[in-house]
Amino acid sequence: MYGWIWRHLPGNAWVKAFISLVLVLAVVFVLFQYVFPWAEPMLPFNDVTVDRGMAAVR
Amino acid sequence: MTVRWIVRTVSEILVTLGTLIVLFVVYVLFWTGVRADSAMDGELGALQQLWSAGPAAGGGSGGPGATGGSGTAAGPSGGAAGEQPRQPAYADGTSFAVMYIPRFGADWAKPVLQGTATDTLKRGLGHYERTARLGATGNFAVAGHRRTYGDPFKDFPQLRPGDAVVLSDGMTWFTYRIDKRPYTTLPSDIGVIDPVPRKSGYDGPGRYLTLTTCEPEWGHSHRLIAWAHLDATQPVGRGRPSALTG
Repeated sequence: MYGWIWRHLPGNAWVKAFISLVLVLAVVFVLFQYVFPWAEPMLPFNDVTVDRGMAAVR
Repeated sequence: MTVRWIVRTVSEILVTLGTLIVLFVVYVLFWTGVRADSAMDGELGALQQLWSAGPAAGGGSGGPGATGGSGTAAGPSGGAAGEQPRQPAYADGTSFAVMYIPRFGADWAKPVLQGTATDTLKRGLGHYERTARLGATGNFAVAGHRRTYGDPFKDFPQLRPGDAVVLSDGMTWFTYRIDKRPYTTLPSDIGVIDPVPRKSGYDGPGRYLTLTTCEPEWGHSHRLIAWAHLDATQPVGRGRPSALTG
């Protein structure tokens, strides 16, 4: 997988390394900005109220 | 499609998943705190600005304190700069007060926002809808994160009877006093935020405050509750209350 990406990047090794770094940073940004904020509320740390479960009942 | 190719691809996928999990842990433990701290600072700054434009001044960490209040709390709302009249309901998702708990540290100051929605609790403490207004008869109930998002209630179990919980709405300082050690209950026990909270030991109407957070520290099976009663109020023009300065 990573070998395939590496082979398909243009330029010499330095250019490939630079593009790889940019790609990694882009992936991390997307994860931190969009994916993790979406996934995080599914963890239990958000349950700090006593009526969350009752809200639907009312 | 050789064995070597399969092994390599599976390895790469596993390494990727491992990296993903590590990144997620970094996000939850560290990055949410960074974001929440900056959001809470933003809320505190907005409140300071609102209050300094209105009839009341001071009220924040590093605020002008006793010297800053040219107006008095008894004065009418100036109507300037969007200063809200006293009685209308707090606007959902916006901050309206600052909470200080000396037990959690001298510089512990968090904004209190209206509502307990997930997004609201990322920016500060959340005031339960349908519970009393700050300082009013009834129960002013507030929820906060114990872990992640800045860990505002990290030291919750250290609260002891007599500890001060001080709030300012820009015009008045409200000093509440904790009456019991934190009480552990189930998430469905909504009686703890009743006007006269159940199991609190209070036996009549009064001006109460309830704090809730999760228990255990990293779990969600229970809730930790602390109750306090209103002990003293004073206008911001008279400076910070003794609970904060003493």
